[in-house]
Amino acid sequence: MLVFSALTKRFGNVPALDQLGFQVHPGRILGFLGPNGAGKTTAMRCVFGLVTPDSGEVTWNGAPIDRDIKLRFGYMPEERGLYPKMLVGDQLAYFARLSGMDRKDAAAAGAEWLNRFELANRSASKLEELSHGNQQRVQLACALVHQPDVAVLDEPFAGLDPIGMETMAAVLRSLAAGGMTIVFSSHQLDLVSDICQDVVIIDHGRTVLTGEVSELRRLSPTRYLEIDVNGQPWTALVPGVETIETKGRHRYMLSRTAPIEEILQQARHDGEVTRFAFEPPHLTDLFREAVGR
Amino acid sequence: MSSSRQIFELARRDFMQRAKSKAFLMSMLLTVGVVLMIGPVLMLIDRESGPTYVGVVGDLPPGAVGAIQEQADTLGVDVEIRQYPDVSAAEEAIVEGEIAAAVNGLDEVIFREEVSIRLDAVLTAGVANAQRETLAAEMGLSLDEVEQLLYPVFYSQRTLEPAETEEDTAREAGALVGLMLLYISILIFGQFVMMGVMEEKQTRVVEVVLSRVKPSQVLIGKVLGIGLLGLVQIAAIGGAAIFTLSVADVADIDLTNTGTRVLGVLVLWYLLGYAFYSFMYGALGATISRQEDMQGVAMLPVLLILPGFFLAQVAIASPEGWLARVASFVPIWSPMVMAVRSTVSDVPIWEVALSILLLVVTTYALIKLGGRIYRGAILQTGSKTKLRAAWRSATS
Repeated sequence: MLVFSALTKRFGNVPALDQLGFQVHPGRILGFLGPNGAGKTTAMRCVFGLVTPDSGEVTWNGAPIDRDIKLRFGYMPEERGLYPKMLVGDQLAYFARLSGMDRKDAAAAGAEWLNRFELANRSASKLEELSHGNQQRVQLACALVHQPDVAVLDEPFAGLDPIGMETMAAVLRSLAAGGMTIVFSSHQLDLVSDICQDVVIIDHGRTVLTGEVSELRRLSPTRYLEIDVNGQPWTALVPGVETIETKGRHRYMLSRTAPIEEILQQARHDGEVTRFAFEPPHLTDLFREAVGR
Repeated sequence: MSSSRQIFELARRDFMQRAKSKAFLMSMLLTVGVVLMIGPVLMLIDRESGPTYVGVVGDLPPGAVGAIQEQADTLGVDVEIRQYPDVSAAEEAIVEGEIAAAVNGLDEVIFREEVSIRLDAVLTAGVANAQRETLAAEMGLSLDEVEQLLYPVFYSQRTLEPAETEEDTAREAGALVGLMLLYISILIFGQFVMMGVMEEKQTRVVEVVLSRVKPSQVLIGKVLGIGLLGLVQIAAIGGAAIFTLSVADVADIDLTNTGTRVLGVLVLWYLLGYAFYSFMYGALGATISRQEDMQGVAMLPVLLILPGFFLAQVAIASPEGWLARVASFVPIWSPMVMAVRSTVSDVPIWEVALSILLLVVTTYALIKLGGRIYRGAILQTGSKTKLRAAWRSATS
């Protein structure tokens, strides 16, 4: 288990992490969420010693992360970090060797990853000759090429087209199924709820919500109600019920035990109810509720 | 996985990436090509300086031609003598440049524009010797009697200090060429280290590298890889120079021997000097992340090394002077000054050992200092990191 315990870090007078703590369970995918500047990147960098926390620590299976453990980890930074003029195939093999693979295995692993991302024909291209999306794939391959036990990925989906995202998501799912522990940060909450079993939401360097996505949704005291009448969204005012606009949809925000029958009655009064959805919050809702904005 | 294997991988990448670059390969091949030309060019110059042709014309005593040749040999002048039927033919030959001078009977020595004292001495003394023999025979004097009359006192010569030999000259020339190669190599390969560090920071690839290895390993790997590349270049250029000198038979001394000595000294002091300056360059490279900032930062090592370059030239002229001796112990200059001193003169072994020791100790301190600056600066964002900020931000 990867454990972040009470991480605190200040940059001058700016607090970046404030007693941040959460856990990542083996073989599961954890979505690491938070608004910009919440401290996600700083926390991820702490795993690899790229940032030294003022206090607190990150441990793997109970042990602090030393050099040997670090070699079993894979890291994908938020901003691109590869050699622009180095050949793609050489680059992957190089990082695999740097993580301890021998020459032959490293070359094979690099080729296999290029195959997986359908980039086998670009092995002898310089990185800078690849498109943005393909460079992003190489960056991910670079983090995973040595078959790490843990992958820490900072915004791996940024800048990918929907097909690219789907490919990458499928790769992550299969790796987790194979036992890899994965943490990734993202701003695309729909995607996160599709891929992750667990989430942690942080704000101002503190953990504000953590747990299994399905549990969090189920246990949330809030429910969302969407009603269509005569095929059109129903937007009538219901006394004592808050409403919210999400992606252009008019939604009623209720407590889990609210008397929805009364609202249904009122809607029926206005016409034929063609849709009635009473749902637990989406991850987006949980996120908004957690960070309070 | 051992730390040294990771350093090997890091060094290997830096070595290969630079070694494979067309610019590097071209410049090295070009330099080696130019160096290989030195031998043939020297041979050509040697052939150009063939014998000096002189002419004889008019009534000369018997044996004059042989006596001129003998006199030329005594004075170490390589002459070849041509005979002309009359003065005008000899004059024409002088004007055409076929001969440098001509002796006309017992009357005159003819030159084109300026009188050459050496040739004048060869020709007049040669003819005079032949004439003396003729006269002595007429007077009935033996050659011994003539000798006694001519040289009543015989002096021998003695010098207090040994004259400069060809070997010394060759060593001085070797030291000068070696010094330039040393100076250029330390600066160029040191700047390669700085550029490499800066580029890794600029492209942020260093974050990915540092997620696998320690900062000190990255810096050491880079210094080793690029340093080895410099060594390969020096070996190639030095090897080419020794080869071309050994093939070309241009001097009376063994140039291969001098060349090997120069190369040995060069390699030793390149390694020591490069180690010192490359860590400085590496640490400075970590403080910048833009090409534009490189010029300014790269000035510091140049300012430190430059006086050493001039002091080393002083050392070629007087390797045992106090200035050269003191400078050969100052670590920022010793790689060049001691290299030159130990090429041109036989420096006591303890002086060389002390100089190396001082440099190694200073380099060790610089590695610690530079390593900390590198660690503190390499992950800082922003275009430029102040040295003090880098120092503070690195933990222990």
